[in-house]
Amino acid sequence: MRGLLGLAGLLVIVEALPRSGLVDDGYLPPTSRIVAALGDEVVTAEFWQAVADTLTAWVIGLAVAVAAGVVVGVAIGAVPVLRAATSSTIEFLRPIPSVALIPLAVLLYGTDLGSTLLLVVYAAFWQVLVQVLYGVADVDPIADETARSFRFGAWARIRHVLWPTALPYVFTGVRLAASVALVLAVTAELVIGAPGLGKMIAVAQTSGAVPDMYALIAVTGLLGVAINLAARAFERRTLAWHQSVRGEVPA
Amino acid sequence: MRKVAYVLGLPVVLFAAWYLISAGSESFYAPPLRDILASFGRTWTLDRLQADVLPSLLRLTAGFLLAAVIGVALGVAIGLGPRLRATVEPVLEFFRAIPPPVLVPVIMLFAGIGNGMKIIVIVFGCVWPVLLNTVEGVRAVDSVQLDTARAYGINGFDRIRRVVLPSASPQIAAGLRQALSIAIILMVISEMFAASNGLGFTIVQFQRSFAIPEMWSGIILLGLLGFGLSLLFRLAEGRALRWYHGLRAASKGR
Amino acid sequence: MRRFVTGIAVAALLLSTAACGSSGGETESDGIDKVKVGVIPIIDVAPIYLGQQKGFFSNRKIEVSMEAGQGGAAIVPGVVSGQFQFGFSNMTSLLIAQTKNVPIKTVAAGVASTGEQGKDFGGVVVKADSPIKTAADLAGKKVAVNTLKNIGDTTVRESVRKAGGDPKGIQFVEMPFPNMPAGLQEGQVDAAWAVEPQLTQIKAAGGRLVASNFVDAAPGLTVAAYFTSTKLAGENADLVKRFTEAINESLAYADSHPDEVRAIIGSYTKIDEKTRADVTLPKWPTEINQASVETLAKLGTGDGIFDGATPDVAKLMP
Repeated sequence: MRGLLGLAGLLVIVEALPRSGLVDDGYLPPTSRIVAALGDEVVTAEFWQAVADTLTAWVIGLAVAVAAGVVVGVAIGAVPVLRAATSSTIEFLRPIPSVALIPLAVLLYGTDLGSTLLLVVYAAFWQVLVQVLYGVADVDPIADETARSFRFGAWARIRHVLWPTALPYVFTGVRLAASVALVLAVTAELVIGAPGLGKMIAVAQTSGAVPDMYALIAVTGLLGVAINLAARAFERRTLAWHQSVRGEVPA
Repeated sequence: MRKVAYVLGLPVVLFAAWYLISAGSESFYAPPLRDILASFGRTWTLDRLQADVLPSLLRLTAGFLLAAVIGVALGVAIGLGPRLRATVEPVLEFFRAIPPPVLVPVIMLFAGIGNGMKIIVIVFGCVWPVLLNTVEGVRAVDSVQLDTARAYGINGFDRIRRVVLPSASPQIAAGLRQALSIAIILMVISEMFAASNGLGFTIVQFQRSFAIPEMWSGIILLGLLGFGLSLLFRLAEGRALRWYHGLRAASKGR
Repeated sequence: MRRFVTGIAVAALLLSTAACGSSGGETESDGIDKVKVGVIPIIDVAPIYLGQQKGFFSNRKIEVSMEAGQGGAAIVPGVVSGQFQFGFSNMTSLLIAQTKNVPIKTVAAGVASTGEQGKDFGGVVVKADSPIKTAADLAGKKVAVNTLKNIGDTTVRESVRKAGGDPKGIQFVEMPFPNMPAGLQEGQVDAAWAVEPQLTQIKAAGGRLVASNFVDAAPGLTVAAYFTSTKLAGENADLVKRFTEAINESLAYADSHPDEVRAIIGSYTKIDEKTRADVTLPKWPTEINQASVETLAKLGTGDGIFDGATPDVAKLMP
């Protein structure tokens, strides 16, 4: 409910700024005009196709990144030697901006879904990996010692000690990765021209169709909100036992 | 000694593999590593570093610090106030989900084409992990600790400084670390629009003018830069969180 | 997963073997070639969309599809690697590519200046109340171009030179075309080199044209061209020949049917109807004006955009 209030406030401000003349309405059209442009868009099949394309790239990219991030993260995090040996490489590869990979993506996949996926996976993977590594490092040494003294095997220690500790971090990682993946999907479409919302934004922008551009940008934002709400709901159900969630229940 | 081997081992292996595999390459866009390395020294002269890398670093620092301050301040406020959190969260989520590259032209309308625009782009993109992690960290503050502090009459700003921030700091550090790498990415992206200097600008310029070995050398430099900054960050983190790591190490019995 | 592994492995090792994609396009059993063309979604490429609609490509057993990327950063790599069979690029970029021995060559003209002072599809504009009256006044001013060290700044310099000004002192800054109307209005730049539809938009807001830089640069300037990889040109000369014929027919048709051009622009851009009716259309001759390309090469060499090299125009020509 309160969230709706916040959003309503934003809509009012965007309506008022250009109307009052504080901002030129050629650069920031009032909410009503953006909404009208959005209304024109949502009745076209082209728009829904673009949404579907973007979401496809997002879902596949995120799934691959999360799976790879968790597996690699747990493997590296659980074995100190591996962690020491890979950390410099990880630190080196991570800051390479995904946009610098655009020529490579195009060489490999052209403007297909694949080029978007490469950028999405590359960017989202690190988000998950880093969180998993943090989570694994946060394992309570006493709990680990206890498990050892009970002669838990490696697999059991991962399953019963490491995983529950790392889980909240994994969720944070997934949530971050989910939004980074969406951002990168749209960016890749925008820059490379792979089909999707990003490409529609690019076309609207070069055509000077400002209200359409804002409408489409808003759609990406709304998608992000929806994705985050879903991730949070999922997190709350599965992490009900954790302190960060527990504190909320009585309210 | 062993530490050095760990840091350098894998990169050396990978570079060697790259060197060997690419040695006979005739592909225009993937030249042999030998050529890339040769162009590295030629390209990144002291003048270039000063003219292009320094401005980038300054903008990066300004953007990152601003984002850190804004993110932590907002994060503490939102994390401590469930009502505030409920109100602003969808709006924040909305802005977070908007890809910064899409917003560059929009930010340009309002902030011009100077350094201000680039710093705003960096702040806009990298404030989110700081904010999100701070909120998480603050929410996860042990309720017993908070109650204890309250019972001792530690209130207001003091409670934030003595209880909330220290307890949330490992999470905040994780957020800052992510923000740093995002800041580097956005530094490059912001320089792809309306720039006349900068590392990102130079790389894009090389790409556009088909100076491919130079472009790869720029990407390597970017990686090195990110690596260096991350090392610096870890040093700072290690100092600031010494008590936390100390606690961990102590209970690990080392 | 496999793609991911490949992708990351390549990203990590930066392997060089990746660039061996297919280059011939797919040929169906009935002899129809599927061809992908990398274009930028702007007015300049209207003929190829029109030609597709009119059947100029399918007549020649080519099934053409357009891949519209922004800014074209992806087009040249896409063509070199064979992901696209053909691409659209401005002439100066192609010349730069030539000096670096990028294995591409032109196959057909893309778009050309109208050659009429004050009535071209690109030009330098200023705010209505600007003290800049002629191109000569641009000296020492801040001028926006979409890309530095490319066709915009070299031709603008030539305009200034021809008007008797000193181009050395011009400070060029990069700004995407769609941002130029606002950039001018807010005083972020003193002048902007804009193309349609932004040119019409700026003029409608009271902007004033001070130079037609394409017209000043060379008579009948070929601004852009369609190109392919030398590999495809060598291996499938027949496909290239048919594509060139189809493009030429499309160019000629577009040039003589401006109303249909204005209509088709609406199908792949979001330019509104009124602006579409107002924009100045470029010329679409079927021949690359080689003399004008030589001039562009000379201007670029003088401005140092080829890093000291001299482009070999003949090597680039079909």
